[in-house]
Amino acid sequence: MADDGENSVDRPTDADGSKPEKMFTLKKWNAVAMWSWDVECDICAICRVQVMDSCLRCQADNKRDVLSRMDCVVVWGECNHSFHQCCMSLWVKQNNRCPLCQQEWSVQRMGK
Amino acid sequence: MSAAKKYKPVDTTELHENSENIAACLKKAENENVSTATSPLSLGRSAFAAQNMNSSASTNGERLPNFSKLHGNEIRSSSTTSNLLNRMGAIHNSKPGDVKKIVIKNFKAKPILPDNYSEETYVKLEEAVIAIQLSKPIKYSLEELYQAVVNMCSHKMDAQLYAKLKELTEQHVKRNIKLKELTGGSMDKLVLLEKINNWWLSFCQQMIMIRSIFLYMDRTYVLQNSAIHSIWDMGLDLFRIHFAQNSVVQKRTVDGLLALIEKERQGSTVDRGLLKSLVRMLCDLQIYTLSFEEKFLDATNQLYKAESQRKMQELEVPEYLQHVNKRLSEENERLLHYLDSSTKHPLIYNVEKELLAEHLTTILQKGLDSLLEDNRLNDLTLLYGLLSRVKNGTSELCGNFNGYIKKKGRTIVIDPEKDKSMVQDLLDFKDKMDIIVRNCFDHNEKFTNSLREAFEFFINQRANKPAELIAKYVDMKLRSGNKGTTDEELEKTLDKIMVLFRFIHGKDVFEAFYKKDLAKRLLVGKSASVDSEKSMLSKLKQECGGGFTSKLEGMFKDMELSRDINTAFRGHALSNNRDVHNLDLCVSILTMGNWPTYPPTEVTMPPQFINPQQIFNKFYLEKHSGRKLQWQPTLGNCMLRAQFDAGPKELMVSLFQALVLLLFNDKPTLGYEEILAATSIEDGELRRTLQSLACGRARVITKTPKGRDIEDGDQFDFNNEFTNKLFRIKINQIQMKETNEEQKATEERVFQDRQYQIDAAIVRIMKMRKTLSHNLLITELFNQLTFPVKPADLKKRIESLIDRDYMERDKDNQNQYNYVA
Repeated sequence: MADDGENSVDRPTDADGSKPEKMFTLKKWNAVAMWSWDVECDICAICRVQVMDSCLRCQADNKRDVLSRMDCVVVWGECNHSFHQCCMSLWVKQNNRCPLCQQEWSVQRMGK
Repeated sequence: MSAAKKYKPVDTTELHENSENIAACLKKAENENVSTATSPLSLGRSAFAAQNMNSSASTNGERLPNFSKLHGNEIRSSSTTSNLLNRMGAIHNSKPGDVKKIVIKNFKAKPILPDNYSEETYVKLEEAVIAIQLSKPIKYSLEELYQAVVNMCSHKMDAQLYAKLKELTEQHVKRNIKLKELTGGSMDKLVLLEKINNWWLSFCQQMIMIRSIFLYMDRTYVLQNSAIHSIWDMGLDLFRIHFAQNSVVQKRTVDGLLALIEKERQGSTVDRGLLKSLVRMLCDLQIYTLSFEEKFLDATNQLYKAESQRKMQELEVPEYLQHVNKRLSEENERLLHYLDSSTKHPLIYNVEKELLAEHLTTILQKGLDSLLEDNRLNDLTLLYGLLSRVKNGTSELCGNFNGYIKKKGRTIVIDPEKDKSMVQDLLDFKDKMDIIVRNCFDHNEKFTNSLREAFEFFINQRANKPAELIAKYVDMKLRSGNKGTTDEELEKTLDKIMVLFRFIHGKDVFEAFYKKDLAKRLLVGKSASVDSEKSMLSKLKQECGGGFTSKLEGMFKDMELSRDINTAFRGHALSNNRDVHNLDLCVSILTMGNWPTYPPTEVTMPPQFINPQQIFNKFYLEKHSGRKLQWQPTLGNCMLRAQFDAGPKELMVSLFQALVLLLFNDKPTLGYEEILAATSIEDGELRRTLQSLACGRARVITKTPKGRDIEDGDQFDFNNEFTNKLFRIKINQIQMKETNEEQKATEERVFQDRQYQIDAAIVRIMKMRKTLSHNLLITELFNQLTFPVKPADLKKRIESLIDRDYMERDKDNQNQYNYVA
């Protein structure tokens, strides 16, 4: 198109002076992303609350405190099953096996 | 004492006069002492007696016999005085200093009356009494008569004297009443009343006079014999007996009084003095209650019964109330002016009953609604004041008030046509009713509670919608661009909103919509004031507890954390990676679950987005292990620098708009299908995006063929001639109208959430209790759940949990559940 030709000729160069400026340049991006625990099952099998929420015990103890929700993290075992860290730490005192697959429990990683 | 002080040589005559004065004084003192207890007329009487004696002591040239000597034994004080006088002569004669003691001795001989003294005195007294009764002058001085009575009493003739006096009085009364009876029949009522009144007044005066003369008898004989009435009472008694016996006179008097009162009630002026005096007469005669009050109340009832029925027909309710008020104050005035105060209760009660209580329902049904509707505060105050006087008045009023609110409120809430103004209408309505309760209904707690109850009732008549609209209203208030309201005003509005919110049963519906709007405000940065947001949040927290707001608070927390992360990321990017430094990337990291759920969308993004995104991903997940990030292309926005013929501009656009515009860098003319393929934005969304760019206010691209709607096969060109006086231009997205479907979706989500909450609550309870009967479980659930729920729904959830092996029915008892670990 004629317009296009004209544009490319007339367009002033960028402040850097390196290349001709395009019609549109992206300057700023306000993006939005959601984070969630990277888990297979989003419900903790011990307290049966979604892992994204704090565990039942924490909800009961610190209902008011928003920060406590941040502290109630998720723990993954070697078996790749995940639970609330609070729930699991109580569980292993009774039985050091994964509640779901009965494998010996050992922590693979912790959410933070 | 005063006599002792005067102890010095004095002329005896002077002393004599002195002693008489002392006796008079003593008597006067005694008189006053006794009289205070006797009758209401005593003051007048004692004054009369004192005057009587003073005049006799000072003006009478002829010295009267000193009778105090005759009853020396009875009145000690006067006897000692006279004895003292006798001794004084002796003292005077003997040498001073010789005598140290004064010995006082009584007379040895008793004074004796002349033989015919009693007969003469009887005649004298009789003459005097008759003269008084006929209002003729008395031949004898009053002092003389008084002394005669004293003498008679001292010589034990008091009983006869009393009998004689009684007889004389009775005759007089009889004579008079006969006269009235004879002439009364033909007389005009008013004249008769006046006659009776005059007679009564003069009778009283006569009795006072007679009593004064016979005062000594009243004090000695009557007081010593408890069976005998005092002279005054005797007179009243006789008057009563004959007045009561003579039914013609009595009836005519009472009828006359009633007629007079009726006349006054009709609005004429009457002689209130006459009424008062006659009513006092009836009271004094103690026949007020018996012969007058009953008839009076009957007459009152009849009058007001007829009147109220007539007026209820004739008058509008407010005028009727005015009328009642007038009537009541008139009756009160009547009480004040001439009726006996004992009538107050029955009279006012009857008037209230006839004028108000009987018509309570009609008044309320006919008048209340329009009074409330028209906000007639004064009339409402009057209504409340009047109705609080009658039994059940306020509760009836309260009930009708409640009914009105429910009826009126329902019309505000129920009509979908009025949804736009519903919340404002509700606020206004609440304000209006509050003012009425506060100003007109005396801030009565019953009304306050009733108001609350009524609001709660009608607001929940329509499920969910009011909650949704209240949430939207708050959004409107908290969004920026809501100019013209100060922080204080906003705060006040929020407080009022909270009042409405309190009535809502389905608070979770409110939360869902509120959260959606809050998310929008936070992500687009459109919140008017952080303080107001926080204030609203704390209000909600106070109202519903931390559980309700924890996710909303989490949203604010996320925004804060995001700010920190972005700062950290910028530092990281600067030090490590040059690719991103010409793009200002700012990511809001939201905690899933805190925020509303957005439908996942996949779009194709050019490398200038993908690269920084990946760098950020890596950065973030290193910092927070165990997490995953899900990017939300629908929510982001971008700033583009655009180069037009007229000069450079900055465009504020959504991510989708940016994706579309950036395509024009490579190819200035694009077809719809090309754009669709390049961006893979969802079809409807893309059409709206293109519409906003090519058909909106700021047309940075042009469309061929022209037209409002984007069709398949349309061509788009970069609009080089774009001009705008602003440098920074925001290109609004075309909002998909929040369709019914979308609202349904939000509601659906709320219901879905409720199911989860019910499930969670059941499991929590069962886990704690292990074993629980059905009823107990249901009760506990009702306690825990914050939204309205039917038992049938709970049953379904229990069944579902049993199916999923969370719990089981007890084998022995079907009504019992066991928790399954």
